[in-house]
Amino acid sequence: MPKHIASSLKYLATIKLRKQGFSQQQIADDLDIDRSTVSHYLNGRNLSWNSIEFAKTLTKLNNKDFLLITQALFKDLDKIRTIILIFKKNEYKGIVDDSCIGCGLCVDLCIMEAISLNALTAQINSFYCCGCLTCEEGCPTNSIKILEENNDQKRERS
Amino acid sequence: MIKNVKEVKGKDFNIKRSAAEDRELSFNDDICIGCGICENTCPVGAIEIAAIGNLSRNYFTTDFSGHRKIAQNMDKIPTGVKITINEDKCVLCGMCSGLCPADALDLKIAGESIKDLDSYPTYNKSVDFDEDECILCERCETACPREAITVKRELPNRADLVTGEIDVDKDTCINCGICEELCPAEAIDVTKEPGSEDIVIDKNKCVYCLVCKKACPVDAIKAVCRSCSYGEYDFDPEKAVTTGNIIVDKESCINCGWCEGVCPTDAAKVSKAFEGTFEIDQDKCGQCGACIDTCPCNALYFPKSQKSGDMLPTLEIREEYCIHCGACEKLCPNEALTVKRTKINATATNSKAWQDAINALKN
Repeated sequence: MPKHIASSLKYLATIKLRKQGFSQQQIADDLDIDRSTVSHYLNGRNLSWNSIEFAKTLTKLNNKDFLLITQALFKDLDKIRTIILIFKKNEYKGIVDDSCIGCGLCVDLCIMEAISLNALTAQINSFYCCGCLTCEEGCPTNSIKILEENNDQKRERS
Repeated sequence: MIKNVKEVKGKDFNIKRSAAEDRELSFNDDICIGCGICENTCPVGAIEIAAIGNLSRNYFTTDFSGHRKIAQNMDKIPTGVKITINEDKCVLCGMCSGLCPADALDLKIAGESIKDLDSYPTYNKSVDFDEDECILCERCETACPREAITVKRELPNRADLVTGEIDVDKDTCINCGICEELCPAEAIDVTKEPGSEDIVIDKNKCVYCLVCKKACPVDAIKAVCRSCSYGEYDFDPEKAVTTGNIIVDKESCINCGWCEGVCPTDAAKVSKAFEGTFEIDQDKCGQCGACIDTCPCNALYFPKSQKSGDMLPTLEIREEYCIHCGACEKLCPNEALTVKRTKINATATNSKAWQDAINALKN
């Protein structure tokens, strides 16, 4: 069952990327699947529509829940990052206050590994930040604010 | 879910968090001076300091024939850990470690102490011995309140410092043993048993003091000190040098400055993390001595009277040996002590929060 949902997420990702103009080979490389699978997906074959409906619902969840489910489904950091970034609705900007003590708890908490410590202060990489707010909630000194920015740009290939 | 793991080894403990990076905070109770800076600094309120005055009092540790009431409390001598850290609250930021003036707390990130990481501020404190100046007198070793100094010295060979000749006429010698008993260098061995009488003089031990010769009732010993007769013409000053070195246990050292203070040759140099002032309110002091027992620097003392009828202050401080850690102020039951830190000697940091924490040590 989780396998089907993971495939369905990949299916949705394939459709999305194709609409953005990526080639089948590029999509296959991005999602780490065969090119023929991409072709099947685009032709609407080999999939359970129930699972796809379920996967669609997942993408509508809030950022944190979607991230946790994606983590449970894919486990591997690169795969989680790929899926999350494809379905990312907004850009997020992390503001770290002077009160940051450099404890590194946010670094450890961040599933996307978007945070690093630089000179005893947390630095949040907007490219990978998915707005789940785990860092903001976990920060012992309330030093992190994640701001939402609308994203009209098409996803660029990394 | 990220969870801290605490490991307790006797009075010491460490708290670990292993995720994206490995962080480990370790505490060494022996080194802790009980100043409470960690408790005041911790940004998440995870640290609690014990009743240090109670723990550091000097109690009788051997059986004594004192009052029964006292004796029955012998087993109630408090033995506790100086600080406790709530591992569920601790976020392993390392501020307690960075600001601990005794380095009793140490945070390691990926196995490396933050004291060795440039991004973290550290105190500019040090202790250095100039081996060329040091004459190995061991005064610093005796004075060090933390037993952090070991002087390893090798004395010159005594036989190289004296020169002379000694001989005993065994036919005249009556093996009375007077010379053996008198010899300050224990160089003479007399066998008195009838039939196997003998006398042996160890020339490596003999210092040619001539006491044996003068005391011998039968004038059997012929001896001469060449230095006395001819001066030190055959004396090699190089052989009279004491050699050795000083070992400082930097873990125990708290940079109090005793070694520098007692050093007769200015070989010891100490720089301290804090500068400040110390005040004793003599009216409030109740002479309990808890501060004296706790002071890691042996800086506080009760003055002794020189003659009867002297009016003395209740408590005195050798301020040159105070590190302004504030442990005494914290535990004084009468609030008679005021420790003020006016300057913190520490390396710079870009982190505002850490800079603020260091500045907060000033009061």
